[in-house]
Amino acid sequence: MFTSRLIRCLLTLAVLTCATPTSARAQALPERPIQAFDGKVALGAEVIATGGNADDIAFFNYTDYEHNALRMFRVGVSGLYRPAEWLSFVGELRSEDLDSPTAYAAYVRLRPWRNRSLDIQAGRIPPVFGSFGRRQYETGNPVIGYPLAYQYLTSLRSDAIPATADDVLRMRARGWRSSFPIGSALPGPGIPLISGFQWDTGVEMTWRTGIVELAGSVTNGTLSSPRLGDDNSGKQLAARVGVTPVVGLVLGASAARGAWLSEAVAPDSSPAQQSFGADAEYSRDHWIVRWELVWSRWGFPHALTPDTTTTLDSLGSWVEGRYRVTPRIFVAARADHLGFSTLHGATIGTAGLPWDAPVRRIEGGVGYYLQRNFVLRTSVQGNWREGGRDRARTYLSGQLVYWF
Amino acid sequence: MSRSCFAALLAGLMAAATAHIDGDAPPKTARANGIIRGRVELRQPPADNAPRVSVADLGMGKTHEPPDRRSVVYLDPAPRAAFERADETRPRMDQRDETFEPHVLPIVVGTTVDFPNNDHTYHNVFSLSKTKTFDLGRYAAGRSKSVRFDRPGIVRVFCDIHSHMSAFILVFAHRYFSLSDSDGAYRLENVPPGTYTVVAWNESAPLESRRVVVPDAGGEVEVNFALGRR
Repeated sequence: MFTSRLIRCLLTLAVLTCATPTSARAQALPERPIQAFDGKVALGAEVIATGGNADDIAFFNYTDYEHNALRMFRVGVSGLYRPAEWLSFVGELRSEDLDSPTAYAAYVRLRPWRNRSLDIQAGRIPPVFGSFGRRQYETGNPVIGYPLAYQYLTSLRSDAIPATADDVLRMRARGWRSSFPIGSALPGPGIPLISGFQWDTGVEMTWRTGIVELAGSVTNGTLSSPRLGDDNSGKQLAARVGVTPVVGLVLGASAARGAWLSEAVAPDSSPAQQSFGADAEYSRDHWIVRWELVWSRWGFPHALTPDTTTTLDSLGSWVEGRYRVTPRIFVAARADHLGFSTLHGATIGTAGLPWDAPVRRIEGGVGYYLQRNFVLRTSVQGNWREGGRDRARTYLSGQLVYWF
Repeated sequence: MSRSCFAALLAGLMAAATAHIDGDAPPKTARANGIIRGRVELRQPPADNAPRVSVADLGMGKTHEPPDRRSVVYLDPAPRAAFERADETRPRMDQRDETFEPHVLPIVVGTTVDFPNNDHTYHNVFSLSKTKTFDLGRYAAGRSKSVRFDRPGIVRVFCDIHSHMSAFILVFAHRYFSLSDSDGAYRLENVPPGTYTVVAWNESAPLESRRVVVPDAGGEVEVNFALGRR
């Protein structure tokens, strides 16, 4: 099974390489987007092949029940059509592990006033919340793994909810395949604090002036559960303010609130997922350091007895950095933590337990630029979890990233 | 530029660096240096250096004027006299409006080039070219860093932050090269009499060369090029 998938991945890579224009191919691999119609149409692509040891016990890096971020072959083809200076159509088709491609992004971009930095985007749009969600391309993610807040599956689901606190505590460290008594009876993957693998659908507006950037959006889903179509008649409002007080330093603060449960489990009105975030980036010389924090609260239509709470909280935070040692070699690392609020059960955790098992992750790696747009890198990732069958796992992974 | 063209150019630059001939053997009579001039035309307009299609942006990116993609014409091999004087100039490659200016910079081996940042944002100038590999890191407006180029060849220059920024530095072992103007005109002066190969380079087309004779009496010789596929 794995061998045949690997062969398909390699064949796809070969086809992509051979399908590039002759003029570009002569330089080894193309490095510029393919353009047509006087530059009004541009096509680009990104291929990421990641391999590492299997993880079918602890599921630390699974992005849903089938896909592992450290064993993934991802192909994305992005396109831009700009018929006028004020109008663009933007899209990306993406396939993970050679599954059928999906529209990761598909939106229209408008700049209504030529002399104002006010942009409107509508469709399947990039997230305004936080920082990491918009910089997963190329080597914007300094290591191979993802931040826990954007990838690690908590046990919560938008289509099935617990009746009691024990239902929640029983699912600790089982986010890759959790089940609850209300709603869908089938086991399924949980949700992360923010989905790093799917974008939401709606409208957003961004305004820049001087050192400030303001962005806001209205979307169908929530940070945890982005959606193409609405399933609960409730919209999410999200906003971010970014400030660049000095060149090289970017500070951001974000907030979001939206109905997160599907109508099937909350027919009257869906409770909200609320999130707050803060992010900072500083770069200088050959260094870049980033920090990000995401706090999220999910509401439920009833109290999780015997506890009196109707909400569950989670806090993810990490710091990461990259240092370019030589023009071709860089080193990078991330230290990450995901924590959960305390819940009191009747038979489990009567004295109080985090409602999901807290996780710590440290990852360090080294990368080598084979070409400006072709990077080989490897990393070692350690994970520690305060619960579950497998509480500590170390993964060694390698990755080829190519884009044009 | 294709790999074969790059190899040919590199071979030419290297050959020029070690050449001990100066075309045909010079006669003993008094001779005058000549001028080789002409135009370089591109059969196809050069492709725009568009930024990567970034779907994650929250708005329109800046629009940039396409860089002025001039050609470089040089002798291969060069006259012996080409190696007798060092070039004392210190050229600069600006970073302005997210563009390298100039886009093409021919220099002599041993030249130090300044890379001032005249933008309002960070830039990170780097090159992975075999001729010269360097990374100047991120530095802000008003600051400048420099690189000395000690080997002949082509150096492709990029910005690590802005994917649409690129430039070429052509490092020659001699002084017999000319950067064309915006109309494609070039001019190689003080060329001793002899027979030479004149080569025209442009980033968007394969190299082309012509044999040319500068007579003993000097004077002007016109050599025109049309680069690119017919």
